[in-house]
Amino acid sequence: MAASSSAAAPADTYDIPWVEKYRPSRVADVVGNADAVSRLEVIARDGNMPNLILSGPPGTGKTTSILALAHEMLGPSYREGVLELNASDDRGLDVVRNKIKMFAQKKVTLPPGRHKIVILDEADSMTTGAQQALRRTMEIYSNTTRFALACNTSSKIIEPIQSRCAIVRFSRLSDQEILGRLMIVVAAEKVPYVPEGLEAIIFTADGDMRQALNNLQATVSGFRFVNQENVFKVCDQPHPLHVKSMVKNVLDGKFDEACSGLKQLYDLGYSPTDIITTLFRVIKNYDMAEFLKLELLKETGFAHMRICDGVGSFLQLSGLLAKFALVRETAKA
Amino acid sequence: MGKRPPLVVLSSSSDDDGGGGRCTASRGPSTRKTRTPATAPPAKQAPSSSRKKPRRGSSGGRGRRRASETALSGSLKDEFDMLTEDFSECLNDLGVSGSMRQTEELWIDKYKPLSLGELAVHKKKVEDVKNWLEEKLKAPKGTFGGRSLVLTGQAGVGKSATVKAIAAEIGADLCEWTTPVPTLWAELVHANSELEYVSKLEEFENFVNKIRKYSLLSPTSIGSPKKLIIILIDDIPVTSGKASFARLGKCLTGLIQSTQIPTVISLTHHHKNEANDTATWNSEELESLLQGAGAHKIVFNPVTVSSIKKILLRICKQESSGTTEELVHQIATSCGGDIRHAIMSLQYYCLNPRRLDSALAISASLSDLKGHATLAPAQDCYGLGSVIHSPCGRDETLTLFHALGKFLHNKRETHGDVNIDLDSFSLKEQLRRNPLKMDVPEMILSQAHGKVRTVADFLHENVVDFIDDDAVDDAWVVMSYLSEADCLLAGSPIASARWTVNESNESENMSQLIAASVAARGVLFGNAHPSPSRWHTIRSPKVWQIERTFRSTKGLILKERFDPSSTSGSRNFSDVVTDFRPFERWISPHNDMARNNPSRHDVAGGPNSIDMLGAEGSNCEEDEDEIEEW
Repeated sequence: MAASSSAAAPADTYDIPWVEKYRPSRVADVVGNADAVSRLEVIARDGNMPNLILSGPPGTGKTTSILALAHEMLGPSYREGVLELNASDDRGLDVVRNKIKMFAQKKVTLPPGRHKIVILDEADSMTTGAQQALRRTMEIYSNTTRFALACNTSSKIIEPIQSRCAIVRFSRLSDQEILGRLMIVVAAEKVPYVPEGLEAIIFTADGDMRQALNNLQATVSGFRFVNQENVFKVCDQPHPLHVKSMVKNVLDGKFDEACSGLKQLYDLGYSPTDIITTLFRVIKNYDMAEFLKLELLKETGFAHMRICDGVGSFLQLSGLLAKFALVRETAKA
Repeated sequence: MGKRPPLVVLSSSSDDDGGGGRCTASRGPSTRKTRTPATAPPAKQAPSSSRKKPRRGSSGGRGRRRASETALSGSLKDEFDMLTEDFSECLNDLGVSGSMRQTEELWIDKYKPLSLGELAVHKKKVEDVKNWLEEKLKAPKGTFGGRSLVLTGQAGVGKSATVKAIAAEIGADLCEWTTPVPTLWAELVHANSELEYVSKLEEFENFVNKIRKYSLLSPTSIGSPKKLIIILIDDIPVTSGKASFARLGKCLTGLIQSTQIPTVISLTHHHKNEANDTATWNSEELESLLQGAGAHKIVFNPVTVSSIKKILLRICKQESSGTTEELVHQIATSCGGDIRHAIMSLQYYCLNPRRLDSALAISASLSDLKGHATLAPAQDCYGLGSVIHSPCGRDETLTLFHALGKFLHNKRETHGDVNIDLDSFSLKEQLRRNPLKMDVPEMILSQAHGKVRTVADFLHENVVDFIDDDAVDDAWVVMSYLSEADCLLAGSPIASARWTVNESNESENMSQLIAASVAARGVLFGNAHPSPSRWHTIRSPKVWQIERTFRSTKGLILKERFDPSSTSGSRNFSDVVTDFRPFERWISPHNDMARNNPSRHDVAGGPNSIDMLGAEGSNCEEDEDEIEEW
């Protein structure tokens, strides 16, 4: 589908989400997770796919690679050789028993070494009952039909199914990998940008390629230019540099500056949850002594818990800064 | 493509009397052995099965119950096999099918154990099952009950495979319950009234009733004493709600009490996990019910690492794939005693031997890859993605233990270069730590793919072993951090109730992350004087075991309370626990096990509970995973 859509006329460029437009159609083009992807490439070439569970956080290319794999393996007979069900389809117990079993019994002429494929996307949202029903089906029809399950947490798949599959893990993409793909898209769409803008997009995406592309498209269609301010305007997160300088001020003992920085953020209208989420990510990657990091993380955690409890006041945030300062005082030699 | 040749031989040979059993046993493996080396590498075996594919494509759909082929067809088939083999060899010479390199079966099917020798299950266990089956098959007809066996154990430890292999060995016919394809509910609503909706449960009940009736007829009326039948029930219908569960229970109890054919029911244990609580309730309940009805129970333990390794190596040799010893070892240790998953992963990891070595090299040298750690400070305000792909494994396996080992051993640089914090300010002496000899803890955690709760529990259970004997204050620090992590992990009940699903997921996610890093970093920081490195085992948390026992005991007591025949009729729970239970134990003599109470769920009367505890004890021994120096 990506192949056909990329050939579309430039007039309707903005009609298709870039996520779809630049979805790789070949396994080899999938970004990141080099090990897993190279194995899937071998499967695409040689056939005989084992039952697979692809698990990993969202936006790391699970669905993309399994669809590409199916297309590459089955080619023209994709339409009759693949049954794709995702969470929006009816996937209750009787559907699994009926639809999947019927599909498994169907006869399709395929090239040698190829099998029919059942793709169950978002398999962790299937009920336990439905998964139980899948168990025997997988075994009985294994010589004609293979299964590929994509899910975010493989632990939500029941053990008997896990035991029948090889687990392929996808991890978050590195910043370089996302950047590489962004550059391709930027070049293809002729987007005006500054490097800091792309950096900001990568920060907001947090290893999620889908989000990176969506944020990029949103920024472009909103402001026609990708720089830091525009990205944070669109994605609307507290600016990490701002938060970082706040933490730095506290650690340097400039408590007043830190407080005014916080006040500024709060006055911009960010909710305490937003602020604390960014704060956590900043602290996690901030380079400081081990003890300080541990204590700061702990205090952030407790503040986050209180905010989730409903005490999302400005006072809590200032209190958090005060606690940071206290930690600094106790740690200081 | 249908069945593999040996399987067909198995089912057909059960019909010819006399030497059938022995014949199967010898022929099953031998067919394969002669076929494979005769025409050298797997490249030649491949075309033969591909040739057969279109011709026998029809047999695949019919399932496994097609058990009555004549002995004639067995020999015909052998001939046919030879012919096709010759034919394909000719083809090979012509170079037509040169591109076909791999066989098209899953390895778990291809290397299914065909004889007892090939089973990965412990010899004694196999013996147990076999003896039981043989005894029951020989037992005189006419007696009711006592002919059912419940096999329990984790997924993939070879429950069904054992039964199948034994059946082949002693030449018995295996009759399995396969769920038929149902009509969809939606179809039913829209269809004409001709169709009748039959639930799985009803169909299962019908099946069971049929067995009970036919068991009276078949073996004796035909008059051939050799026809042995074993019923294997593998796919017990899923029940939801108490009513349907009760029906299933009744149906199975009836089966157990009246069957005259040896019946094997296999139940899969689930690991505890909060997500699917209903299912676990189901299997445990069912197990105790079946046992109460008089079924004999045999627990299958996870397969040992060494026997998994043996089998994997054998497969590697037969596939002649250039796998390294390390990979096999890694798969074997990380699959958690699940032989099927081990073979599956092996097939997956054999896909690309070239890449494989690099993956191994990465994971092996993970500990001294400081080059990756420098990635972080370079762009410290942005999130860093993990570059290293973690190796195979089911959840809670090697990668998790790997991570735990790192945290617990707490390796640091020996000579302190504290210049990093000099630019800001200097810390107190006792709060200073040498830099870690590992990646950032968060990164290790994200690679471990473990649940935070699991990590915290494991750390709590094991950390004390790793702290020096004299450093009590270190233990204080570690424990206080762990307790804080626990508190963060539990979060607040209000939050989850008040927030909408999406948001609460988000916030939960974050508190999980924080809790994980507090736990890991707390252990790393607090353990200032690690005990000299020596060999440790990592125990699985005792808390889990206690919780499990607590829940099951509570369940039993509750059940007994509602049991009218029992003495402790309509008392409230605390009365039963505090007054009745100790009193009963006190007045009843120690060796009086049965108390002559017909109630099945006897708590105080030894055998049940002792048995259960014993089983759990052995389980948790198996759970232990050993780590040395990483």
